[in-house]
Amino acid sequence: MTGMIQYAWLVPLFPLAGFLINGLGWRSLSRKMGATIGSLSVLVPFIISLLIFLDVRTGSNSVLSYFPFIQSDGLNIPFAFQIDSLSSLFLLIITGIGFLIHVYSAGYMAEDDGIVKFFAFLNLFVFSMLLLVMGANYLIMFIGWEGVGLCSYLLIGFWYKNQDYTSAGRKAFVMNRIGDLGFIVGMLLTLYCYGTLSYSSLFPQIGSANDLVSTNAKEWIALCFFIGAIGKSAQIPLFTWLPDAMAGPTPVSALIHAATMVTAGIYMIARSHLLYDATPITREIIAWIGLATALLTATIALRQYDIKKVLAYSTVSQLGFMFIALGCGAYTTAVFHVLTHAFFKALLFLGAGSVIHAMGGEQDMRQMGGLGKKMRITQITFLIACLAISGIPGFSGFFSKDEIVSAAFAHGKMLYAGALLGSMLTAFYMFRLYTLTFTGGFRGTHDQEHHLHESPATMTFPLIVLAILSVFGGYIGLPAVMSSHHLLSSFLGLNGAVVNQPDFLKSFEALHHQEWTLIAISSIVAIAASIAGWAAHRKPAFSANKGLALAFEKKWWVDELYDAIIVRPFLALSSAFDRGVERKGIDGLVNGTGKLVRWSAERMRLLQSGQVGYYLFVMVIGIALLLAIGFFGNPF
Amino acid sequence: MQEALFWIVSFIAIACALGVVLSRNPVHSVLFLILTFFAISGHYILMNAQFLAIVNIIVYAGAIMVLFLFVIMLMNLNADAEPQKSRLVQFAGALSGGALFLVLLAAMRTAALSPLEKTTNDIGLVANLGKVLFTDYVLPFEISSVLFLSAMIGAIIIGKKGDAPNREVASGEQLDGMDNLVNTEQLSTGANANLPNAFTEADELEAIS
Amino acid sequence: MAALLLLLLTGVNAYEALTLPLEGKRLFNDMLMPGQVSAWFNTLMTGCTLLYVMLSGRDIRKVGNHVADYFALIFFTLCGLYILSSYNTLLMLFLGIEILSIPQYILAGADKRNLKSSEASLKYFLMGSFSTGILLMGIALLYGAMGTFHISEFSFPTTELFSPLALAGILLIVVAFGFKVSAAPMHLWTPDVYDGAPTPFASYMATVMKVAAFYAFIRLFHNSLGSVSNKWMLVIMIITAATLLIGNITAVFQQSVKRMLAYSSIAQAGFMLFAVLSVNELGRQSLIIYAVAYTLATVGMFTVLAKLKDYTYDGFNGLAKSNPMLAFATAIFIFSLAGIPLTGGFMAKYYAVSALMTQGNAMWLVLFGLLMAAVSVYYYFRVIWAMYFKPGTPQLHEPMTTTDNWLLLFTASLVILVGVAPQLVLAFA
Repeated sequence: MTGMIQYAWLVPLFPLAGFLINGLGWRSLSRKMGATIGSLSVLVPFIISLLIFLDVRTGSNSVLSYFPFIQSDGLNIPFAFQIDSLSSLFLLIITGIGFLIHVYSAGYMAEDDGIVKFFAFLNLFVFSMLLLVMGANYLIMFIGWEGVGLCSYLLIGFWYKNQDYTSAGRKAFVMNRIGDLGFIVGMLLTLYCYGTLSYSSLFPQIGSANDLVSTNAKEWIALCFFIGAIGKSAQIPLFTWLPDAMAGPTPVSALIHAATMVTAGIYMIARSHLLYDATPITREIIAWIGLATALLTATIALRQYDIKKVLAYSTVSQLGFMFIALGCGAYTTAVFHVLTHAFFKALLFLGAGSVIHAMGGEQDMRQMGGLGKKMRITQITFLIACLAISGIPGFSGFFSKDEIVSAAFAHGKMLYAGALLGSMLTAFYMFRLYTLTFTGGFRGTHDQEHHLHESPATMTFPLIVLAILSVFGGYIGLPAVMSSHHLLSSFLGLNGAVVNQPDFLKSFEALHHQEWTLIAISSIVAIAASIAGWAAHRKPAFSANKGLALAFEKKWWVDELYDAIIVRPFLALSSAFDRGVERKGIDGLVNGTGKLVRWSAERMRLLQSGQVGYYLFVMVIGIALLLAIGFFGNPF
Repeated sequence: MQEALFWIVSFIAIACALGVVLSRNPVHSVLFLILTFFAISGHYILMNAQFLAIVNIIVYAGAIMVLFLFVIMLMNLNADAEPQKSRLVQFAGALSGGALFLVLLAAMRTAALSPLEKTTNDIGLVANLGKVLFTDYVLPFEISSVLFLSAMIGAIIIGKKGDAPNREVASGEQLDGMDNLVNTEQLSTGANANLPNAFTEADELEAIS
Repeated sequence: MAALLLLLLTGVNAYEALTLPLEGKRLFNDMLMPGQVSAWFNTLMTGCTLLYVMLSGRDIRKVGNHVADYFALIFFTLCGLYILSSYNTLLMLFLGIEILSIPQYILAGADKRNLKSSEASLKYFLMGSFSTGILLMGIALLYGAMGTFHISEFSFPTTELFSPLALAGILLIVVAFGFKVSAAPMHLWTPDVYDGAPTPFASYMATVMKVAAFYAFIRLFHNSLGSVSNKWMLVIMIITAATLLIGNITAVFQQSVKRMLAYSSIAQAGFMLFAVLSVNELGRQSLIIYAVAYTLATVGMFTVLAKLKDYTYDGFNGLAKSNPMLAFATAIFIFSLAGIPLTGGFMAKYYAVSALMTQGNAMWLVLFGLLMAAVSVYYYFRVIWAMYFKPGTPQLHEPMTTTDNWLLLFTASLVILVGVAPQLVLAFA
């Protein structure tokens, strides 16, 4: 299969074509056509990606340069793709899970008028995401990075008739832009310090003998990129957009806000691992922010009633786990968790979508219960996903999460305790979710009960495939004590694409003799918490929450806090500028506000002559100030 | 002798310029302006630019100012017609102008003025001027015609009858040449002063909403 | 007719761009010195004007009775642009600026049935004459200090002996240019004038004319005054920061899209000032690419605006449903103005910021600019929000023709092209 890599350009081309066909023809194409085109334009790239993957496994990798993107003296950025083990793995995740979700959407959105437009947006998203992971320099990555943010905005607000949904979309976009600012600054700093943005010429410079950039500067660069990751991967303090993003259709939540886009931050840091190797302080910050996010959002998930909100907070929490791993220097572990998380979280969302579909749009778990009897496939696949995410031994989540917890242990005991607590909470709220939804008696209205049904085959097929993956996906990364051969990290290590931080590796290997103990502890914690979660909600009673529980339910009032300290002062400032400085302030001063009444008869006329005069007045004062600065204030 | 003349002429020029700004009666302002032009022509003569001095008087003090006077008389402007400006406006004007002046003065204080070397005494004569204009500076000379042409077209567009909102503007039609532009603009000042201000209203609406 | 003539002009300029030497050729006793870059700039701007005439030709015809005169005035401004892109003496600079400005005063007041239009014209004229006075004074002072009008012959003594006359001249010229490009605090005329002027002319004023002034700005300050950049750098930095701040923050609160675009043009001028601040090759390239990207997107936006009856954000409600093509093109223009990747606007901002980074002495300004760019997303996206996510039926003056649709789509694809292959724009720059 050699030589498949050179056809890599075909991979993003198909979704782009799909987007154009669906996007331009969304009025004339029939629903079936739109869905078929949309799905096919992801299936074909999946097959190509598979071939590329097999090719990369044999050890080939390359940077494919297509045309000069920016070229001028001192600045040379080609439009190029980099295909190596990391990007080929992400290609598989994006196109593979993307395809399943496209198929699922064909069933889920079948009744919606805008289905063709929906597929157009989904294809555009897949295209942008592919650009993000395939780009051979930060600029291409950034284009994809912005592209996925834009698609997420469009898809969250897809049901635009609801005002709340569209403002959720806007919130997501603005928060992402704040993160992007960090990314841009990081990119510019890199350019400034190293004069290049291409991975292949940048990373060898870092840490080499002739690397003249100070550690401080590197820390700043790393930190700026991490701020970008905070925005995209919804970490503290920019995590509040992700739960709101659940306003979008459920397949969108599964694809964008669970499996792919939100992991872009992890991809980016794994891609830049050589940079982060050299910046221990930033890694420490990453680890602690990851832990704080994981715990904070896990507690919020304990008391949510909206089925999708629970999953959303759980996603944020799992992303926090991945950042813990990154912070420890265990990059391959983070990528491993991205992979398994993509399986089971997509499955959870699709399962939840199936439930919502059956319930006729109802998302409140207080209205559910006992759905298992009517929806066997959904129930079983959902249970598998719960077992996987909770870290029950034997399922995929167990392996990846165990690796993260062990990595935290190798890093420090505090981090370990936090991570363990986090995984305990995960198991607890997931089984709360499962119990409330699928077991017990039905609590909804009679109409809803009558309406309950298993979803069509287009929706259950992806569930089954993902369930199989959720069970077996973890076996590519067995812990060292079970097998000496870690398939994933050896694959990622091909040609040095992603290698764990050297210091971390040493302390991790020193743990070998304790590994069985660690596995036992985390298994016991997970099983105990799962049982507790099940037992506590077998006979649910929904009373008003008090104290700490209320804080969980109200999401620690983070949204309200942001509103009070950021949104309102900003709006006030801009309105003050608008009214005060631009219009009323000096104008009022000139005319003497107190005398306005007396002049009311001539008011319009006075304002007219006053206005140009006022403009000139401001201008001349400004000029005088500028000249004064120019003459006397010049520090150069 | 020359230096004394320079100071006298300069003093007249500045005093009359102040008079233009300060006098309340528009006719007085125009007369002061004419005086200013005369003083400036005096400067030209001191600099050996006789031709420019004469042209300055004929064109500006003669033609343009007469047109100004016509306009003022046609519109029947007098001291009462001028809108009453509050002291604050005057103060603001004086303040901003003064600040600019002070800054420039402070900066120039240390300037060492090195005189440009004086070539010949007959540089300002018609023949020399013409020679320079049609050799070295032929391009700017010709290009100025584009400027005047566009100004002329503008004057015609603005001055033409037909789709104008009020008749005052149309009176600009009686004037000709490029100066039309200046005059019509002046006219529309008067025209607009009596009309409600569309902008202020729009601004206020926005400020409220 | 006008379109044909413009096509011809574009061709001539392109030919010039191919044949002229890079360093420039002295013409007319050194009055002009067009080089390859300035000819290329002319080509691009003439091309943009051609596109503009094709896009808004119908709207121009609706403004008043003097259609031929309007086109004549547009051609005069192009003449001013050509002078400004290749002037070699301060005299030609002055003439160029005036030839560029006078038609603007008239075009602003072209719609005589509308009081706002006359008022805009008057305001612009009064303030414009003020800035002309300042420019003249600056030129006079600079001439006094240098003893020559020829900008290529300026020579500055060592720093200690730097003449305050020259400095005052330079600063006054900065201020005058600041007025022309609507930089704070000389920006106050902009919102009123753009709001009051007939929409198609506001579009031209905000784009090609402004860009021409920027090119003149750079030509003087990079080529001749570049060696004394430390003298004027600080003032322009302050102007830039103030422009970015006022433009962006005030735009947030506008209810009318037309007024928002006026403030946005102030904000964009802040980014173009980055190019002035970067005295290097990249700075000039960034200006050219910014000029093209900004012109295309803004002309497009104004064209869309001219089609609508209601200029407020609410006027855009539900546009995506009733006119998907129009909404799609608008979305592309907005993306470009907001600087979303794969559009020209992103490349332009990217170049501008990189240029300033290369200059290296104003990192705070880079950060500030990026922050303001993030703010700008808020007000730009309100348009998208209204078009795609709000119900409503927008009122058009007249139904869109197929030609209109295709022209808008063509413009939008040009915007994308600049974003994907900026090399094309910089072919001769």
